[in-house]
Amino acid sequence: MVFYVCIKQVPDVSASVDMGRMVLNAYDASAVEECLVLREKHGGEVHLVSVGPDGASETIRKALAMGADEATHIQVEDLSVLDSGAIARILAEFFGTVSYDVIACGKQAQDTDAGLTGGMLATLLDLPFATNAVGLDIDGGLVVTRQGDGGREVIHLPTPCLVTCSNDMNDPRIPSLKGIMAAKRKKIAVASPDKANLESDTSVTGFEPVPARPPGEILDGEPEEVAAELARRLKDEAKVL
Amino acid sequence: MTSILAVIATDASRIKRSSLESLSRAREIARAHDARLDCLVMDSSPEQHIGALAAFGVDRVLTVTSDLFVDALNPPVVAALVAATAESDPSVVVFASTEAVKDVLGAVAIRLGAAAIPDVAAFDYENGRVSALRPVMAAKKLARTESAAGRVLVSVRSGSYNAQPAAEPGAATHVPLAFEFEASQVRQEMREVVRSGGDAVDLAEASVVVSAGRGVKDESGRELVAALASELNAAIGATRAVVETGLYPATAQIGQTGKVVSPQLYFALGISGAIQHVAGMANSNVIVAVNKDADAPIFGYATYGVVGDLFKVVPALIEQIRAAKTA
Repeated sequence: MVFYVCIKQVPDVSASVDMGRMVLNAYDASAVEECLVLREKHGGEVHLVSVGPDGASETIRKALAMGADEATHIQVEDLSVLDSGAIARILAEFFGTVSYDVIACGKQAQDTDAGLTGGMLATLLDLPFATNAVGLDIDGGLVVTRQGDGGREVIHLPTPCLVTCSNDMNDPRIPSLKGIMAAKRKKIAVASPDKANLESDTSVTGFEPVPARPPGEILDGEPEEVAAELARRLKDEAKVL
Repeated sequence: MTSILAVIATDASRIKRSSLESLSRAREIARAHDARLDCLVMDSSPEQHIGALAAFGVDRVLTVTSDLFVDALNPPVVAALVAATAESDPSVVVFASTEAVKDVLGAVAIRLGAAAIPDVAAFDYENGRVSALRPVMAAKKLARTESAAGRVLVSVRSGSYNAQPAAEPGAATHVPLAFEFEASQVRQEMREVVRSGGDAVDLAEASVVVSAGRGVKDESGRELVAALASELNAAIGATRAVVETGLYPATAQIGQTGKVVSPQLYFALGISGAIQHVAGMANSNVIVAVNKDADAPIFGYATYGVVGDLFKVVPALIEQIRAAKTA
């Protein structure tokens, strides 16, 4: 099987996002991990493709160090002005030039939390697709276990196909020293998108802070006293009982 | 704007509350622009919902009837949405942001050549464009997002608007849509559906949620959580940590990766308050946190915080809530 994993460099949202530390999107890391496991079990190749500015090459190199075979960096100046539709069209242009069995994406990027690109890309390429995968296997095609609204669904997709991955499917490996050294010799091909694909239908015009919650109160005392006080507040003050 | 189309999600014989919330907002916008309010129900027997939708002021109820929508794969859902949009010709299509909608939104946007703004906390329509506020960066910021001119798909986070019946019922004219979908177009196969939760209260719909974190530890902790939830007729949620240990099913997971909830009352029991969890519950009206660690970040969000052992506090609380309800 030939796997292509679409990866994105994003701000580290677990720290202060204004510190500007850039990392591999956690959902994409799970997609890379799962494809590496499938390659180990069934053979094949794992390729990476990323749309991003110059600086994204550092993140691509880290994903190569996890064990992927090679990567393509589609260079754009400013990722923040491109919406999901533009990214999907840029990726679709690339996938018109390569052959693949499975395209894997993170189910969303941890910065925008939009979750559109996978379904858009599949539709542009006319591929069957499944989203929010929590497990993958190969059985004459791709077997996707996905988390739906009411439970888990096991879906069989013929290849070629596309799947978007949850970070609940695995714990991505930390690159070994050997992997990091090997990644330095791996090829990162550089490509440029067609200018026509850089048009976006939506734009972010600014950011606002999340409205602060009214300050809360810590209730002190023995468990019985605190419980009584809390029940009273919930009933009389918050009126939610 | 001539029309706005609200897509209605149903669950067994009920309309999901989140759909009534987004429908209520769609109605406000339709009325402000003197536009027709259409809605779409895709179901094996959609007619049963027409009366309820009339009460929400709907002008027309488009229905697509098919058993393919039970445990649906995405191709028939995408096809039905494309067909309904052709009939309604709306400027804006409004969805409640469920997992099933996340599954198809991008595909539908491409099929329709429409812009998509997913998971909004608020949105409006002015001068032919949608403007919206979206929580981003694990809900640490709100992004002001605008569409270009043209059709726009918007999905709305649950709890962002109140589900409010209309002052005057709508005509709710029934428009059944022809739907021909060949099995060969599906190209994928549902092999198994493992439902979790049984008849438990649905998380995204519940007005009270009791959630468990690492502090819940084990089976005895889980029983305590269940007892409090039962006393309050609450849905049960969980952090990623206790879903990973197998103590709770993945359908209970609340947070950036799981479900987003905004109930009237949220109990965070033994939850430290990692940003990924907070992203899924910070909009709850009243938050109660019980945690041993006085420095746990969850106390920064709590309306009422209790620093203590949940194994001691929760049993006492169950007694006191029972007493307070009967008093």
